[in-house]
Amino acid sequence: MAQGKILIIDDDPDITEAMTVVLENRGYEVRRASDSAEGREQLEKAKPDLIILDVMMRTSQEGFELSRELKGNARYKDIPILMLTAVKQKTGLDFKAEAGDQAWLPVEEFLDKPVKPNVLLEKVEDLLSARGA
Amino acid sequence: MENLLQRTSLIQRAYWLIGLRWVAIVMLAGATFAAGELLGVSLPAAQLYGIAALLLAYNSVLYLLLRYWTWAGQEPSSGEVGGILTFQISADLLILATILHFSGGIENPFLFFFVFHMIIASILRPRWQSYLQATLAVLLFGGLVLLEAARVLPHYRLTGFAGHGLHTDRMFVLGFLSVFTVTLYLVVYMTTSISEQLRAHQEELENANEQLKEKDQVKNEYVLRVTHDIKGHLAAIESCLDVVANGMLGPLNEKQRDFVERAHRRTIKCMAFVMALLKLTRMKLSGRLEMERFSLRKCVFSSLASVQSRAREKSLVLHHQIDPAIDEVLGEAVLIEETITNMLFNAVKYTPDGGRVGLDVTRDGDFVQVRIADTGIGIPEEALPYIFQEFYRAENARAVERDGTGLGLAFAKQVVERHGGRIWVENNPGGGSTFTFTLPDHS
Repeated sequence: MAQGKILIIDDDPDITEAMTVVLENRGYEVRRASDSAEGREQLEKAKPDLIILDVMMRTSQEGFELSRELKGNARYKDIPILMLTAVKQKTGLDFKAEAGDQAWLPVEEFLDKPVKPNVLLEKVEDLLSARGA
Repeated sequence: MENLLQRTSLIQRAYWLIGLRWVAIVMLAGATFAAGELLGVSLPAAQLYGIAALLLAYNSVLYLLLRYWTWAGQEPSSGEVGGILTFQISADLLILATILHFSGGIENPFLFFFVFHMIIASILRPRWQSYLQATLAVLLFGGLVLLEAARVLPHYRLTGFAGHGLHTDRMFVLGFLSVFTVTLYLVVYMTTSISEQLRAHQEELENANEQLKEKDQVKNEYVLRVTHDIKGHLAAIESCLDVVANGMLGPLNEKQRDFVERAHRRTIKCMAFVMALLKLTRMKLSGRLEMERFSLRKCVFSSLASVQSRAREKSLVLHHQIDPAIDEVLGEAVLIEETITNMLFNAVKYTPDGGRVGLDVTRDGDFVQVRIADTGIGIPEEALPYIFQEFYRAENARAVERDGTGLGLAFAKQVVERHGGRIWVENNPGGGSTFTFTLPDHS
């Protein structure tokens, strides 16, 4: 059984529920938040090892803003972020160029919804083991 | 936009007038020479050559001024260009009157050239200005012949061409002048009526076109919004079904599993469709492509690699040939690779087991040409014109795969055309079809 505490910040309760089942099935401990404010609260309380963050919540950029805030904060900057967005594809906004730019958008990985369970587990494992190493 | 169009065409017309004037200068010198030297007509050749020289200088200055003006970066307004045109036409009338004065006045048939200037003015300038130009022409020509008749101005005879004394025959001069006047005004009336109609019509078309573009934009934004919302729901449905279908919530009996899997499959199909539509719409709405030099060769190999296993499953022969001189081209690598991969997947999908799929890359003038040929089911003749249209699927393609999106080729067309290339399809004489697209090669 895998170990680690994961915080999902996403305003879609159904997707959050489904991801929770997938992750808990594998043995991870899952915490959930439906917006940035709740996310910050959970971060403080649960001290997760990984954050799964949706981009579009109340605003289309909420996730980006939160990720920048977290990476600018010494306490949280080492927690890897898996971001849920269609950046890998051609979007109206093009984040591709900035993906590796730490100052602009410091997240470790992107995945587009819907995330296949095996892909999700694989990425989570990669990020956690990279962190542990 | 519309103003810009009008202004551009006015500038073009200003250049056009200058071009015509070069011809007129050659004609003036040539006619003077021919009349004087070859036909033996007596002419004040020195004055006429002098006018030709002056005209040459005037036209050169005008040309350089216009060049400087359009080069210096200061965009002349359409009013300013119009002013230049008005000035040119008026100056030309004065010059024509002067030439006529030195070459026989009313005896010289070149006086018909006033009609050309009326036509030009009527096409390029507003109606009232054209009437003013006609009035100027009548005043200039009338003044000239009347003053010559009254012997206030000297009369240069065209001895050897026209009979003498016409220019002082009051009946002839007045009659000629009346018909001349009526002719010019009629020409302006007729030409402006037609050209104003044409101009209004053109404006209507441009407006309609602009409105269509705006509506298309609104439609695309609408589609993007709707599709994006649907995608959100579908993603949730698919995620939930994934969990159940993968048995993460416990085992299902056979019937339950069957139904969940059916729903799962249909959701995935629907998602594929939504994603394709989203991609196409985003492409349509996106501004400029991010063009960079990339290796087309690598793209092709990577596309070939992605269809390799599928081709092997169907025992297809997958061969390729790439002109060794072709490597880097300008474009957006991700899009081009996706396009080639899509086309290869199509070829593999619609080619029966044991067939052949070939890809070749060649140079065709300033373009690089990518061609994908297969020995597949081909495209029915009646479907050929529609094959790149959104949502269109040929009958025989439906038979092979019921739920295709009908968007793959529309996307390919969008990508290729945004790169400045062309895409088309032909059926092979021996069966199967060949898709070809070109990309401009700027190297």
